[in-house]
Amino acid sequence: MSTESQNGYMLLFRGTHWDKDLSAEEIQKMVTQWYAWFERLTQEGKCKAGHPLEREGKIVSGRTGRTVADGPFAESKEAIGGYFLLQVETLDEALEIAQQCPGLDYGIDVEVRPVAEQCAARTRALEQLAHATA
Amino acid sequence: MSQLQDPSRPAVLRSRTTAEDRPPTAEISRLAEHLFRHEAGKLVSVLTGIFGLERLQMAQDVVQEALVRALQRWPYYGIPQNPAAWLTQTAKHLALDLIRREKVFRDKEAEVIRLVEGQGPAPAAAIFPEQEIADDRLRMMFVCCHPQVPAEAQVALALKTLCGFSVSEISRAFLTTDAAIAKRLTRAKQKIRAARIPFEIPAGEELGRRLDGVLQSLYLLFNEGYKASSGEKLIREEICYEAIRLTGLLAEHAAGNRPKTHALLALMLLNAARIPTRLDGEGNLLRLKEQDRTRWDQPMIARGMFHFAQSAAGEEITEYHLQAGIAACHCAAKDFESTDWRQILSLYDRLVEFDDSPVVALNRAIVIANIHGPRAGLDTVAAIPGREKLDSYYLLYAVLGEFEAQLKDPLAAAGYFRRSLQLAETKSEQLFLSKRFRACEDQILAQRR
Repeated sequence: MSTESQNGYMLLFRGTHWDKDLSAEEIQKMVTQWYAWFERLTQEGKCKAGHPLEREGKIVSGRTGRTVADGPFAESKEAIGGYFLLQVETLDEALEIAQQCPGLDYGIDVEVRPVAEQCAARTRALEQLAHATA
Repeated sequence: MSQLQDPSRPAVLRSRTTAEDRPPTAEISRLAEHLFRHEAGKLVSVLTGIFGLERLQMAQDVVQEALVRALQRWPYYGIPQNPAAWLTQTAKHLALDLIRREKVFRDKEAEVIRLVEGQGPAPAAAIFPEQEIADDRLRMMFVCCHPQVPAEAQVALALKTLCGFSVSEISRAFLTTDAAIAKRLTRAKQKIRAARIPFEIPAGEELGRRLDGVLQSLYLLFNEGYKASSGEKLIREEICYEAIRLTGLLAEHAAGNRPKTHALLALMLLNAARIPTRLDGEGNLLRLKEQDRTRWDQPMIARGMFHFAQSAAGEEITEYHLQAGIAACHCAAKDFESTDWRQILSLYDRLVEFDDSPVVALNRAIVIANIHGPRAGLDTVAAIPGREKLDSYYLLYAVLGEFEAQLKDPLAAAGYFRRSLQLAETKSEQLFLSKRFRACEDQILAQRR
């Protein structure tokens, strides 16, 4: 499986509520840094989109999608707080950008994922079909 | 950008794809220095005004959440035209949401909403929201500086609720632990509840008395920041500026606009103006005569002189007036040699009448020495009433050492500097004293050759 992608890379910012103990001063500093970072990447054409995600939503699960529960919960280290969709050529470039995230100093994790050409499951299915019919 | 003006409506997520709808990067400067910190202080006061002192914690939590929301949204959607208004609206809506969940408020909901929306009980409140905010801030000041709140706790409480400092910032300033500060804050809040301290600006005769208490607390706050001692230097300086800001707010308000408030403000400004030159590049303490006066903050000195002039009204002379006068004499002198020592002495002569502290008398002795020479200085120190109280005070020996050095007795001077070094607590003071000590040692060696 390749980690290089023609379709760009996604940065997923993990960890919500890491900021609840920050001082007002630190929050202001972060607003300024994050804003400048996002602005710059957008103007350089490297970031196609980015959004914060609201803290609380719902989780749908179960066979018929009938289970709708509250979640993900606050104080979650894994909960996704937002994303950037990067338009860069290589994983290395995406990683370099991820390393600039101002939230890293405060315990935010940045997950970097290549955007796939097509769904991996569909790729496997097509390969199996190719094998079977070869 | 309507989603920014109404945070209660769910944000419509739109990608910023075209250059035209992206705000310019000059926006970053729209965030005034310490905006979040100062807004937090203001908002906590306003929310406390609406929901009561018992809900102080809720007010603080709500304000923190509002700041966090700004952090979440502004980087992506741009900084709003009026950041302070956005924060205020968000905090108010969050507070309303919390309150709505409480049964007891369902009955009074309409009334509470009106209060929150600013259409308060008195029509005047809607027309002059600025005044309401100023009033709430003053109410909070009178609470934080209440005589029944222990002094240490007053400083922590003021920094947290009025100045928007975090517990961690406060503990770093005072070289203690987060837990210790949290405890101080808890005790303060307990005291407030137990003593049923009201959220109000005192009136009539009580105002005069309570105002003295507030001034004293603000003076204490300033001194905490000014002490060139332990704790993170930068944060301590910020505390000085916060004390100045709060005293300024007090002076602007009808309840606090008295000559003595201006005197306190003047003394803070005139001392703070010299902060940039107190230490040299290596963290060594610089004495007045060594400070580079071109780096004194001239606009701050001008402001200080302005308030000093304001303080000259009325008939009451306070210690603040005298201390401001002394600071003004220093700031007005273009160099150490031009200092009007006689004027300073006359101010000290009056100051010792107010304050019989031997430390004040010691400072006066330095002035005497500047006018009449080091021998007179030594005699004055020896004659200080209560002089034995200075026995463990490192500055006493530093001063005596200076006098002996000027009298060309490096042996005696070295003895004093060594004693002083044993008692000094901070690094910069120790550095300074050991330099003086070594200079004396060099002189002793030179004399023996």
